[in-house]
Amino acid sequence: MIDVLAITDAGVTVDPPVVAVPSDGVSVLCTPSNGDGVDADALWRHEELLEGLMKLRPLLPVRYGTRVPDEAAAAAAVAGRGAELMARLDHVRGAVEVSVRVRTAAPAPPTTAEHSGVEYLRARTAASRAGEGVHEVLEPLARDCRLLGGAEPLRAAYLVEHDDVDAFAARVRELQGEHPELAILCTGPWPPYSFSEAAS
Amino acid sequence: MTAIARERDVALVDLVDRLLAGGVVIAGDITLAVADVELVHVSLRALVSSVSSLERPPQP
Repeated sequence: MIDVLAITDAGVTVDPPVVAVPSDGVSVLCTPSNGDGVDADALWRHEELLEGLMKLRPLLPVRYGTRVPDEAAAAAAVAGRGAELMARLDHVRGAVEVSVRVRTAAPAPPTTAEHSGVEYLRARTAASRAGEGVHEVLEPLARDCRLLGGAEPLRAAYLVEHDDVDAFAARVRELQGEHPELAILCTGPWPPYSFSEAAS
Repeated sequence: MTAIARERDVALVDLVDRLLAGGVVIAGDITLAVADVELVHVSLRALVSSVSSLERPPQP
């Protein structure tokens, strides 16, 4: 069995144990499956492998855990999707993903008293507005963005040009200074995991 | 928890978000066992609660 790691441009060369399987105008990057269990270390090893590959070429990560019997199956899995995948590669070319999450102190859940419920909703609304405010500042600095949903006031991915990452990070630091009441958590640069499929 | 360990845990939340929900979905087998995914989710929940308790502003 082999693990399918990512899609990249046709004609690339890679170092073993990674192999580039040509199919439909793109390359499918694969490695032999090592049978790793899923723990934090395995996830980080996968991430480091993709980051190394990303340094040299644009790539679209494939969903973690995708496994096929052999290289022929890897090629068959993307056959017919070459044009779509090339368009996605062009969309992420020269850019990286940056994650931003906003957390607030969790409002106390409502008790039986009616006014506590109102206060709870008020706190939830204020937290949601804070998340929207952060997003409105950061969105213009990115080529594209995805709101990932979830319970936090903001859980988002931004596709940022290589050359703009420092400016993006500096703006996040300013926001952190302007909003000491919020925890604004920013990580990256990541491979463009959240931009590998067209927006739904 | 040290500052570096905490930063790594904050990033792990983002990594798990991306690995389990992101990426191109192709016609292969997602062979990640259901039990493994549940394990990741369980450890992530523990992690999120520890991160949020660390991040809560000091009480007046």
